[in-house]
Amino acid sequence: MEFFRNTSFDFMRARRVCLTLSAVAVIAALGYIFSRQLNLGIDFAGGTQMIVQFDEPPDVQELRGLLQEAGIENASIQAFGEEGDNSIILKTPVADDEEQRSSASRVEEVLERRYNSDVSGFDLNRQGTEALASMLLGADPDGMRATGDDIGAREHYREAAAEVMALRRTGGLIRDWSEIQPGEALSPEALAVITDGATFGHFAVQSSDSVLPQIGGELRRKGLLAIAFSLAGILTYIWFRFELRFGIGALVALAHDVAVCLGLFAFAGYEFNLTTIAAFLTVIGYSVNDSVVVFDRVRENLRRNRRESLVAVLNRSLNQTLSRTALTSGTTLLAVGCLFVLGGDVIRGFSFLLLVGVLVGTYSSIYVASPIVLIWETTFGRARREKRAAAA
Amino acid sequence: MNRNLLWRGLVVVVVVSACAFSAFPLADSINLGLDLRGGIHLLLEVLTDDALRAEAQKDIDSLIQELAEKGVEGTSALTETPTRFRLSGLPPDQDGLLPTIIEENVPYWTWRRSGEEVIFERRPDEVNTIREQAIDQALQTIRNRVDEFGVAEPVIQRQGLGSNRLVVQLPGVDDPERVKNLIKNTAFLEFRLAVYPESGGAAFDREEILNRYGGTLPENLEIAAQDQRDDNGNVVGQVYYALERRPVITGRDLKTARAGLGQFQEPVVNFSLTHEGAQIFETWTGANIGRPLAIVLDGKVQSAPIIEGRIGESGGVIRGSFTQQEVEDLATVLRSGALPAGINYLQQQAVGPSLGQDSIDQGTRAFLFGIVLVILAMLVVYKASGINAMVALALNFVLVFGVLAYFGAALTLPGIAGLILTIGMAVDANVLVFERIREELHNGRTVKAAVVSGFGKAWSSILDANLTTLIAAIFLINFGTGAIRGFAVTLTVGILASVFTAVFNSRLLFDLLLSRSGRVERLSI
Repeated sequence: MEFFRNTSFDFMRARRVCLTLSAVAVIAALGYIFSRQLNLGIDFAGGTQMIVQFDEPPDVQELRGLLQEAGIENASIQAFGEEGDNSIILKTPVADDEEQRSSASRVEEVLERRYNSDVSGFDLNRQGTEALASMLLGADPDGMRATGDDIGAREHYREAAAEVMALRRTGGLIRDWSEIQPGEALSPEALAVITDGATFGHFAVQSSDSVLPQIGGELRRKGLLAIAFSLAGILTYIWFRFELRFGIGALVALAHDVAVCLGLFAFAGYEFNLTTIAAFLTVIGYSVNDSVVVFDRVRENLRRNRRESLVAVLNRSLNQTLSRTALTSGTTLLAVGCLFVLGGDVIRGFSFLLLVGVLVGTYSSIYVASPIVLIWETTFGRARREKRAAAA
Repeated sequence: MNRNLLWRGLVVVVVVSACAFSAFPLADSINLGLDLRGGIHLLLEVLTDDALRAEAQKDIDSLIQELAEKGVEGTSALTETPTRFRLSGLPPDQDGLLPTIIEENVPYWTWRRSGEEVIFERRPDEVNTIREQAIDQALQTIRNRVDEFGVAEPVIQRQGLGSNRLVVQLPGVDDPERVKNLIKNTAFLEFRLAVYPESGGAAFDREEILNRYGGTLPENLEIAAQDQRDDNGNVVGQVYYALERRPVITGRDLKTARAGLGQFQEPVVNFSLTHEGAQIFETWTGANIGRPLAIVLDGKVQSAPIIEGRIGESGGVIRGSFTQQEVEDLATVLRSGALPAGINYLQQQAVGPSLGQDSIDQGTRAFLFGIVLVILAMLVVYKASGINAMVALALNFVLVFGVLAYFGAALTLPGIAGLILTIGMAVDANVLVFERIREELHNGRTVKAAVVSGFGKAWSSILDANLTTLIAAIFLINFGTGAIRGFAVTLTVGILASVFTAVFNSRLLFDLLLSRSGRVERLSI
């Protein structure tokens, strides 16, 4: 199937309108970004982020109040994952208090008081494999220590504990004793020790991140440097391979893409973090990639036909590459779209940025990069120079 | 089939089978990152000033002692910074003593007189040595402790040359709090004489002890507390002892420490002593039979048994109201040696197993859907030639997984995203070529000529387009940590693989097709 066979759209005709629109979009995006604080993730701002799963839907409103009471200020809590996951994602801008007590452990204390007041003893949803192994080793239901091989005994109970903890891998948290069955390493006796001495609480901490502000600052600096260096690298490459005017075109298109994507990203309310930097660099690479393919064709056509006007060459090149542009963008969009829809909450912001990046990058390679080349040429180019020379 | 084709076919077969061999079985050969597998990532800094301070204190003590032996009593020192202290009480006419004393005892200090005082400063190269040693020792100590924990592939390393930061990665570990405490644990163990109560038991409050000494404690004593616990291990109260300040031996004198069971099947730590430690301890315990010996951990009394006889190299038992977990950790920490300096956590990341599993499931689903959709799109647009692109895409992933597996690069969630992005971009090279071939066909060329010139003309675009993305990805590898690096690596490998498959392999497929069937009139594209 061929979508664009021998097309002859006059892309350049719309250049004024498109450039104006783009300029407005860039200004709006920059205005939006600078008028408000970016939603920085904890890896850049410092702080603590936790994902907690409950056995029943938690009352987010109540939790906010409880954290406030406990002196954990400015905590943001949102539902996380799919419905029925009963999970929340919790962020606080503080990693450590003055006594170096981590916010994570303070939050856990609050949750413990609120949800696990009826629970005492070893909590299978809070403790880990090693702890359970220690507990089993202490009780020694399988009589392993009598052999004198302490290391072997430890290993045996570690395997038994791992079998129990594997249940949390699939279900998130253990809710009922019937879920735990004797297995290869877990003997019925060991299971009896667990049912006897352990219990399961009503929540499990699925992840916990904490970053000191000092590290956040460093990561921010490094992130900006990475972007700056890769921009410089790409531009150097283009400078070597193409004439200046094309470099300018690609650069402007690139700046346009970054600004617009950043604006959309901020507007959608996603969090700006380390993975965002990765997505940005990818968008940068993609944006230049698209412009470069068009310019490659322009260069080829210019060589072949020196008489033709630049407008005509640009138009012809855009038409010739249109099919490729549409198809590559299309397949990339399909892939990234799948990532956005199916990839889950953890990287939703990341995939959003890639999605808009591909769209905006495709647009700009046609309607920004090439028109800029034309404008540059008519303002500073050879024709202009000759005219000036003639006048003088 | 001509030789040229044969050679190229051979290259493709060799490269692809090498990668396939490296990558399969996929589940075993691909190293999952922490975010997918679950586990703990810690960035910590070693507070090397602690080590400098401790070294300075040792040197001050030996300096003051030497001066006293040479007849200058009553000198004292004030530590200003970890590398600098002021000595006062030394009369200026005695300065002549200093050069030999320093030379013989503390040669790494420079000194200068400043009025009534002498200012000592540690030589800069020596400062560096101590810092380096502290970091090396901390690294070793932490490694010892983590090794006890039974982690499959722990990563414990300095963050960079000359940095005082350590990175600790423990995949699969699901006890973040316990690990953090274990690593940070100073576990400063001392054996000290309990002077009051003299024959066992403990005082119920501080006043009881103070009253015994008429309100003020003698210089050489201090009061230490012991926690009282109920059956569940909760602290319900405290009792007190008057202890000698100077320990008889410390944790440094222990040779081994092992978790074991006491006479009532309660968890205890069994220890043995080093040769030097045993000599001191044996003499001392022999002289103090019948008196209580306090076992003090981080300033808290754990137990204060009565000395029943000489204790030598074979060691003894540390009793306390410990849980099994506590004795295991205590034994580990005592065995691993002391941390030379405090530790501060800068960044902590713990991913539970279920979150990682969710991410794997979601990532895999997105990946499969993406591949299927893109392949369908290619088949619809390029008909039979779409199959060529499909083969290229499939080989692309064999190559990517092969390279990832070979280098042991970890696959992270952003890494999966990188793979998915690669699906979209990998077909780009094919698209560039196919479009060119179509154009050439429209211009009336023969199939053979169109293929040759299509590949030839598209090459420049393919090179430029992929190089720009590659530049961005390579900067990302250098910048990124953990998950981000995973993304950059998969993207880089994906780009390289896609160029190889699209240019080398797709060309080969076309050439095979053309060489077989004699004159080809039509190309399904």
